[in-house]
Amino acid sequence: MSLKDKYAIAGIGYTDQGKVPDRTALSFHLEACANAIEDAGLEKEDIDGLICYRHFPAASNENDLTSYEVAQYLGLTPSYLSQDAN
Amino acid sequence: MLDAGLCNYVVISYGHNAFSSDSMMKMLMDFGGDDGVFGQFGAASGYAMAARRAMHTFHTGPETWKHIAVGERKWANLNPRAMMYKRKMTFEDYYNSRPLVEPFRLYDNCLMTDGGRAIVITTEERARDLKHRPAVIMGMGQHNTATAVNYSTHLAGPTGAKKSGEMALSMAEITLDDIDACEIYDCFTYTVEINLQSYGFFGPGEGEDWLKGGTIEPGGRMPLNTSGGQLSEAYFMGLTSLSEAAMQLMGRCGDRQLGPETNTKAPEIILCSDSGGVSRCHSSFILRRG
Repeated sequence: MSLKDKYAIAGIGYTDQGKVPDRTALSFHLEACANAIEDAGLEKEDIDGLICYRHFPAASNENDLTSYEVAQYLGLTPSYLSQDAN
Repeated sequence: MLDAGLCNYVVISYGHNAFSSDSMMKMLMDFGGDDGVFGQFGAASGYAMAARRAMHTFHTGPETWKHIAVGERKWANLNPRAMMYKRKMTFEDYYNSRPLVEPFRLYDNCLMTDGGRAIVITTEERARDLKHRPAVIMGMGQHNTATAVNYSTHLAGPTGAKKSGEMALSMAEITLDDIDACEIYDCFTYTVEINLQSYGFFGPGEGEDWLKGGTIEPGGRMPLNTSGGQLSEAYFMGLTSLSEAAMQLMGRCGDRQLGPETNTKAPEIILCSDSGGVSRCHSSFILRRG
């Protein structure tokens, strides 16, 4: 069955961007997600799926960043989690 | 998983300190694998090789790409969030920018960005009850054409934009003539040209003619990368394009809003793309005003 017109983008989350020193990759994920959820008019309890973009090599002074970590720090308990490999 | 009923509200997120940390450089230095010993590393070298092949095969090169670099910059100059908001670019500036990996100059390359971007996706029905008028997904397609650029038999295109575009248009039950604006993944200027060409906006080598005269700029007939794109706004992979398309369709773009503000058509339908590797994999999305 066609997926035409069945789904929609309902909210967008921004953060400071450009040269923003002393911030972890995780902190940008968390801020962007929180802002997107708020922008859609939802609560974090509503969110039951989380997809994170690319799994980059961690910066030298940071831990490996996974979608599990993003969900945990946001206080989400999604039914579905994924992250692009590599 | 929305369609399978596993989820109702999905967040898609990108976050990276690419500018200030060594994470992106670690990824890029590993990008070419063992070919690094031959001087091929990072993403620019692979795309440069593909662009060089294209220059041999059909009419393209800096004369074509300058329209993309300058056109996107004009959009960035209307977007206070854009990294290049206050920095104008002329054709002369483009030609004077230093060579990085020939045939690419600095301004053919995308930005490195600290920051994040996220979107919320839900059913069209649920979206209607939320705060904003939603951006509805009319069609999507994906096509992955090669394992790596080194083994590609189609260096000069078509890229996965061709088949994934046909899939998305077919699902949306529209043609390219119905597209009001484009938000195209632009790791390099040439990436935009080869993907527009692969979608069928123009024939091989006709890019310069199609682009000249401000086609993609504010006031143009096919506005493209209206936030400034990854060349001049910020690098968040596919979320730079998807989020901007959604914001435009929601009518939330301020000075860069498509419509009377920028002497362009108020958009009903926007084509978005994302691609990975060096023209290795490609996704197409068609969004409409909800």
